[in-house]
Amino acid sequence: MSKKGEEIPDYKKDKKRVDGRKMDELRPLSIKVGVIPNANGSAYVEWGQNKVYATVYGPREALPKHTQNPFKAVVKATYRMAAFSVPDRKNPRPNRRDQEISKVLSEALEKSVFVEQFPNTEISVFVEVIDSNAGSRVACLVAASVAMADAGIPMRDLISATGVGKAFNEIILDLNKEEEDAPDAVDVPLGILPNSDEIVLLQMDGLLTKEEWKKVIALGIKGCKQVYEIQKNALKEKFELGNVSESDDSGNALEKKKETGKKMKEEKGKEKIKERSEKEKKVKK
Amino acid sequence: MKEVVVPGQIVSEDRKKLGSNVYVANGRIYSKVLGITDTEGEYANVVPLNGLYMPVQDDAVIGIVSRVVFAGFGIDMNSFATSFIPKSAMREELRVGDVISAKVSYVNELREADLDFARKMQGGEIIEVTPVRVPRLIGKNASMLELLKSGTGANIIIGKNGRVWARDGDIGLLKELVSFIEANSYKSHLTSTIEEMLKKKKKLK
Repeated sequence: MSKKGEEIPDYKKDKKRVDGRKMDELRPLSIKVGVIPNANGSAYVEWGQNKVYATVYGPREALPKHTQNPFKAVVKATYRMAAFSVPDRKNPRPNRRDQEISKVLSEALEKSVFVEQFPNTEISVFVEVIDSNAGSRVACLVAASVAMADAGIPMRDLISATGVGKAFNEIILDLNKEEEDAPDAVDVPLGILPNSDEIVLLQMDGLLTKEEWKKVIALGIKGCKQVYEIQKNALKEKFELGNVSESDDSGNALEKKKETGKKMKEEKGKEKIKERSEKEKKVKK
Repeated sequence: MKEVVVPGQIVSEDRKKLGSNVYVANGRIYSKVLGITDTEGEYANVVPLNGLYMPVQDDAVIGIVSRVVFAGFGIDMNSFATSFIPKSAMREELRVGDVISAKVSYVNELREADLDFARKMQGGEIIEVTPVRVPRLIGKNASMLELLKSGTGANIIIGKNGRVWARDGDIGLLKELVSFIEANSYKSHLTSTIEEMLKKKKKLK
């Protein structure tokens, strides 16, 4: 944030951003698939400082019953921010912003899914923001889309999303918090289906001229294509084709977890017993 | 050549016969799901790597009784809709939690299945697997199923809805093998590997 007395950067002059990135460069993005074994599909996204978990359940029976639609599945996304995800504590009760983002995410995701195949059902998507620093809604959309693909839900396409906009006199890709708080900042979260360049999420905070707008969308779509490659690789990484060998992992992550949990508990118990006996010895002495 | 595809990825640019889990747009064939495709096959087809059970006519399934009402029984089929068997179709009385094997006789436009030939299963255990990976548990001409039966000495019935019912024999070993097959379902030479594993296990005993 630029305080009074501090010099406001001018990107047109500097040719470099506050965090050293180029104008059309994304923050480092990494995606992990299938991180939560209890969900049908899940993903973890780290995008700059943003850390986001997404889980997908369903298609399952939509309840309460009046939410069912006999012609299509209902996609219901829930966006939540952890209380510790922002510098000041966030009240965990869903506020206006949470509800709005849940709504736009649901609508964007619904566009990518073949909803007609699952009448009377609901596809539940939960996205949880663990750490945030501008552009958490696009990170959530990226994570949710990958988690849906992991759940095996039939989709037209993955959804790639990125933030674009203007700050410090220049059109830039993937704004961070400092740039979002610039005096002339314009923030445009953009989500597309990369095959057809169909736009499924588009919001704008601020004002742009017509020329600037054209540049912003072109740059945003270019950024989304970069995100798409990372999403694709993350999904394919999990499944390496080839021959099996007996030493291969036998899966069953849940049971393994339980086993390791038991072992840890046992070890802890042993340690406690040791400590106790040592204490008793000391007391006796 | 086998290849992993993600939703929205091009399966084929040529005109091919359409298999499952693909859609056509702008004259190209795209994948609907995360799965495996054979690029040289006659069909443009994608085998999914994950997903729910979708009832299909003539499937053998294993259901669990979830509800009993005056007219009949509600059956949990591991699908998103529960099925219903009228009491008149059953010879014996069922209770909640009972396991039945049945055949899907009809699937309507809401993907609700009607069941036929329902039979109560006595005893045994159920192993849950991802429904789309069931074909690997059965194998070509049921080769894998025969191997599992002879290797563990168990009575096995595999439901297409991702439930394996087993009784007698070495159930612990069976569970191990099933989870191995499920975890490595996208790899090749599964049957021969399982055969070798069974041989080794027998030597140990």
